[in-house]
Formats: sequence, structure tokens, C-alpha cells
Amino acid sequence: MNMVKVPLQIFRYKPGQAPRYDTFMVEIPDTSHVIDAIDTVWAIHDRSLAFRRACHHSSCGSCAIRINGVEKLPCVTRVTDVWGGHDPLRLEPLRNFPVVSDLVVDVTGLFQRMSAADMSMICEAEAFLPFTVDTFAVAGLDPKLVELPENFSRFSRFEKCIECGICVSACPTMAADEKFLGPAGLAAIHQARKKSNDPVKVEHLLGLADGEHGVWRCHSAFECTEACPQAVDPAGKIMALRRELIARRFSKMMGK
Amino acid sequence: MSTLDYRKVSRASRWLDVRRRKLGMWAYALNRITGIGLVVYLYLHLVVLSLLLRGQAAWDFFVTVARSPYVLALDVILLAGILIHGLNGLRIAMTGFGIGVGAQKALFVAVMVVSAVTLWVATIKIFRI
Amino acid sequence: MQNNGRLAGLLSVCDESAKKEDQNIPPHVLIIGAGSTGSATAHDLALRGLRVTVLERGEVAFGTTGRNHCLLHSGGRYCVTDQESAIECIEENMILRRIMPDLLELNDGLFVAVTEADLAFKDRFLQGCAACHIPAREISVERALAIEPFLNPKILAAVQVPDGVFEPFRFCLAFLATAQENGTIVRTYTEVTDLLCVGRNVAGVRIRDLHTGRQEDLQADLVVNAAGPWAGEIAAKAEIVVPEVPTAGVMVALDCRLNNLVLNRLNKPSDGDIIVPQRATSVIGTTSWAVENPALITIPPEHVDRMITQGQQLIPAVKKVPMRAKMAVARPLIAKSGVDARKLSRTFECFDHERDGMNGFVTITGGKTTTARAMAEKVSDMVCRKLDISAECRTRDTLLASYRLFFQRTHSRTPSSVADAGHRSYRRSIFNEHG
Repeated sequence: MNMVKVPLQIFRYKPGQAPRYDTFMVEIPDTSHVIDAIDTVWAIHDRSLAFRRACHHSSCGSCAIRINGVEKLPCVTRVTDVWGGHDPLRLEPLRNFPVVSDLVVDVTGLFQRMSAADMSMICEAEAFLPFTVDTFAVAGLDPKLVELPENFSRFSRFEKCIECGICVSACPTMAADEKFLGPAGLAAIHQARKKSNDPVKVEHLLGLADGEHGVWRCHSAFECTEACPQAVDPAGKIMALRRELIARRFSKMMGK
Repeated sequence: MSTLDYRKVSRASRWLDVRRRKLGMWAYALNRITGIGLVVYLYLHLVVLSLLLRGQAAWDFFVTVARSPYVLALDVILLAGILIHGLNGLRIAMTGFGIGVGAQKALFVAVMVVSAVTLWVATIKIFRI
Repeated sequence: MQNNGRLAGLLSVCDESAKKEDQNIPPHVLIIGAGSTGSATAHDLALRGLRVTVLERGEVAFGTTGRNHCLLHSGGRYCVTDQESAIECIEENMILRRIMPDLLELNDGLFVAVTEADLAFKDRFLQGCAACHIPAREISVERALAIEPFLNPKILAAVQVPDGVFEPFRFCLAFLATAQENGTIVRTYTEVTDLLCVGRNVAGVRIRDLHTGRQEDLQADLVVNAAGPWAGEIAAKAEIVVPEVPTAGVMVALDCRLNNLVLNRLNKPSDGDIIVPQRATSVIGTTSWAVENPALITIPPEHVDRMITQGQQLIPAVKKVPMRAKMAVARPLIAKSGVDARKLSRTFECFDHERDGMNGFVTITGGKTTTARAMAEKVSDMVCRKLDISAECRTRDTLLASYRLFFQRTHSRTPSSVADAGHRSYRRSIFNEHG
């Protein structure tokens, strides 16, 4: 196990003080992920460092921060992938959220929007091919249909979105319009709409999407889709919602 | 300073910060810059056209100025703005309704390439007059 | 331990608290730790009408619970070697399906025999499941391979059990959000620096708010120590010994998902014998070694290698898939002297420290996230007994609130933010306007 000494430049802010950057030199294994480096700072150097984390494997979404200015999940980002060996590794909180202290941001706004979309975290996998063709290729097997266990009609899956807020941080419209539903919220509305058969709920969801702070505020920067660590493609979902909204308007105009 | 101090910059102008952003964000920022530029040009254009009200001599003087290489260079910049804004606008219109969303980066590259080629040809023609 | 002389402020609060009791205000319980144990306990006590404050030095699930294997145990893993654990698991498995249906990937699990030794274990396994009332069904190898295309084609037997998968952060958030609905206050980024004692009674805690750096004393009628592998550290502040051995384990998450069902090795528990899928990853786990400092665990590379090697026994394609993440955290296992780490029981225990001569202080430790609700029930029963409250546990059948409400209900402590001054009005959301 090779150890490396990595300089971390971490944004520090405590209420009542001016923000600053603290530099810490941490000695960690070269196979570490960035979250391990942050953890080392907290455990050994400065117990007042406030940061979020829980699962360490990109399923809780709590650790999202900016690494060298780009939104990432530090738990799945290797130090050697983002650190060239010389300049300090810069860690900052997400944008477009109020900073509580250090790397901790207040994600209430994000969860309010997700609550409004009311997307259940459970969706159903494709009935018979729940793995992608790519997975079969990686494993060196031919893609094949999968049988279901007895009494199963579908496999269940968690939705891809882990509510990490990275898309919100990357979105330029979120910066300008604080009431914008945002990529996460709109993508959730799309998913919830897709899974719902209740016409009242569908009307409500499409109404949110069509509203003043809905899909029409998006100006196609596509940063959300680029930055999303879970391949949710919020931009694609926003455009899909627009398609549906336009189609419905046409139908109404045609008198259906 | 290696980072933007967000206290000092008003929120709405954060779209300007394209550092470490991907192509989609560059397209977004370029569209705004060219859009602002074209709006400014529109006013200039109307002012220039109003010279027509001042009679033949004023207009002829303007045309002489307009033929100078400096102004022709500005015309090239204007054309660049029109091409980028227009073609990117088409891209945004397409992707905005779900067509070609997956290819949005390739489309942007195509927009810039077509703009560059057209601009190159046009520049040659402009400066031959 | 802070004792009599410096407690003028706290004593006056205690006097007030005594006055309050006349007015039938419920007692105040402080819970240290917002992992699965602390969260479930807050929910249970809040349902019983107590005033609860949860203190957590990091984010929710910052410690052991956050980095667990995410396995909703059917109990099959313990049905031969630790039947007490197995019975707890299957009961709680069924309860959690009822109270948090939206937070579980329910695709069952398979115990597969890879070697002849595994095959020989099968009968004991099936008997064990029957004895513990775990619905287990043997299926043919062909069927198993048809359900799981990446499963080792050389397996000799397969048994299907009702395993499931949860996500630990939201697991805790759901319990806490429900507790908040019933008046609980959750204070994250609040570290307990000392236990405040009045004589042989824990009367409160001294805390430091990590955001503001401010110190504060909080009064409590009872303190529940649910700090997991740090329970010993907390108890030591009142000079009490909690016999736990922080035992770390490594897990490896792969870049893609290779199984639909949880895959287990059909044998006694050993290293790397479970692959838990979730969303788009498969997590191989785990190992076991005692650690001195649970706050900083260096992941031994040989453990990572062992996960990959063992994982291949169940899914050969494991060696072709890059690793996405690796994590290690310490389980709070209860020590029984001279016993190998792997053999320590995964059951839990409540310690009423009155037996150590200190009143108003209990520790709940051991256990696993699958049995968090049961742990909470047991410690809540103890808390109510000690506080002379008669209230039944209602957590078996109470549907949990949406985990998303946690942040919306958390006492907002966002200061006038420097970086995003305009977002002060963030919480004034459009949804309030829509009503």
C-alpha cells in the first residue's frame, strides 16, 4: 500500500466569520477516494470540519461537493483522478444552496421540490431484461432474457436519482431563479408522471411542470445531465415533459 | 484569486462562469453573449439607418466609412454573432422539444463548425469588395 | 465528567424541570447518535409521548449505519449459528416491509452452494430456516441460473429466502421524520463533549455545536447512549465501562449491478460471502477485524482483494467489473471475553447503568440495522420503566412518514449565509403559495 501526501484546500465558513480556505496535508493510501481524505482531515487534523456523508458508495447522495470547481460525489471519486500531484485539491460546497458551515449546505429546498413531485423511490425494472446490454458485454456473456422468481411480476429497483443536489448546483437557471423547480425536481415530476395512472395526480404534476417555475425556465445548458453521477439525464426528462405539454396543448386546440 | 467570490457577484450573472463546464454550458453562455451583442447592434443599426433622414451627403459619407477595413472587421464579428446565435438557436429549438437531446454536444460542435466555415468564406468575400 | 460544583446553571434548569413535572409535561430524553438505533428509538419514544432530542455530531447516519451493507436480512445467514439473531431478523424483516414499503428493494435472496462442503450444509440450513420460521424454498440450479444470468454456473444448489435491500441514510431519515412529526428535535452537527452528573445521576449533557462552535448544556431526565462503536467513549465520560469491541469490515461496490437478488454463500458466515445489489451497483462484503479508533479506519488492501476473490465464487464476472467505491466502518459488537470477532453475537443489548451505580443513563448497542426497530422497542421499554411511564410500543404497525420531510422539519439553523445571501428566502417555497 503506497501512501501519498495530498494537500487539501478546503472551504471553511462558520456563521459570523468570513469565509476562508484552510490547507491540510493528509497522508493517505494512493487508492483512497476523496471522501477518505476528508474523513482523515476530520479524524486527525480538525474535528470542527463540518461535512456530509453516510454511505460511501453513491447511494445516499449526501456527500456531494465541488472538487476543483466541478460537482462530484467524493465517495466514488479517486484522489488520483482529480489530483495531479502538485496543486492542492480544492474542496468547496455545492452552489445554489445556502451554506450552513464548511462543506455542509442546506438541502431543504431540494427535498421540498422532491416532495412536491412526490416521486416514489421504488420503480420497477424491465420485466425480463433488468440488466443493460453493456453489463453482459463487460461480463463476456451474450445478453439474454431473465426469468422472474415465482410470484414476482417485476423486479423492483430504487429510482436512479439519489437526491444529491449536484444537478441543482450545476444549473445556471437555479442560480438566477430561486424558485425554479430545478433539474432534480423536474426529472422527479417526469418519473412520477410516468409511474402514475391517476388523472388528478397527472394533471397536478403537469401543472407544476407547466408553471411559472417549471420546464420553460430551462435554457438548455445541459450541465445537469453532464454532472449527474447516476445518469438520470434530467435535461432529457425536462425536454420529454415539454414534448408532452406541447402535445396536450395541441390536442386541446384541436378540440379533443 | 482562484475562485469566484460569490458575495460580490450578483446571482443572475453566474451564467458567465464557464470554467470547468462542459460544451452545453459554453453554448448557453455564447448564446447570451451573442444575443446581447445583437441587441446592441440592432440599436446601432437603427441609428445608422436614421442617417438616411439627413440626406444624400450624410449617407454617402457613412458608406465611405462603412467600407473601411475596420468596419468590415466589425461586420465579420457581427456575422459571427448572427451565425452562432442563429444556428445555436436552431439547436436549442430542436433539443428543447426533445429532438436530438442525446446529440446536443455533437450538434453544438456542428454549429460551431458550420459557423466557422461560413464565416471564413464570408470574410474572404467581404474583404474583396 | 462534570460534577456538582460547575452545574449551577444546569441545576436551575433541573429545578424548572421539576416544576414542569407538576404540570404533566412529559420527561425529556436525550438520545446520543442518529444512526439506525438512535433514529428508531427517537421514533418509538416520541410515539409514546416523551419529549425527545437527538444529538448527532455529523450528518444523520454519519457512523456505522451509513456505511452498512444495506442488507435487509431474512435471517438465513444466522439460522444455523445464531438462531436468536435469525429469529429477530425475520420478524423485523416483515415489520419493516409494513412500515417502510417505499424504502426497500424487495427482490428476495439466494443462498447458493458453490462447493461440496456448501452442499453438505444445505440440510442444516433448511432445518435452521424452518426452526426460525424463515420462509425458505429450494429451487433448481437451472432456475437459479435463469433468474440470475451472472451467477456462477457451477453452483450445486440454491435456496430462495426473503432478503431485501434498503438504503441506510433514508432508513434513518424516515424514522427521524416521523419522530419530528411527534415533536422530536434532531440536532445534527452537535457533539456531546461531556456527561453532566448530579451525584450519581446523569442530569444532562454538555454539547458543542459544530457550526457555531458554541457550547451549551442540555438537561435530560434520561440519556440514551446510542453512539454505536463510540458508545464506550461516551459511557467513559461517566466512568462507566461498556463492553463493546468496535469491529470493522470492508465492503466493495462495483461499477455495475450483476445480480437482481441478494446472493449469499450457503455456509456458515465468512468473509466476502454476500453480494448485495442496489440500484446500479453490487456490493460485496464483508470482513471482520477489531479496531482501536473507529473514527479513522484504513482499508487494508488485502481485504479488498479478498472481497473480489470471494465475490468471484458467487459471480465470476466480478473480476471483470471495475470497482466504484470501497467502504469500511466499525460494527458495535458486544464483547464476550475470549471470543473470535466473527463469532460475536449480532444480537443487541441494553445496559441500564443503574447497575453501575449511575442513574438516568442507558446504553443500547450491538445489533444490526435490520433489527433497529426491535432494539428501539427494548430500550424504550426500559426508558419508560425507569421514568415510570406506562406507554405501549406502537412502532410495529405505524407507517413511517416520508423521509423527505426530515430536512423540511429540521430546526433551521441556516445563518444569514455569506455565499448565497439571496437564498435566505429559499425555504419560502412555491409550494407554500400553492397551499
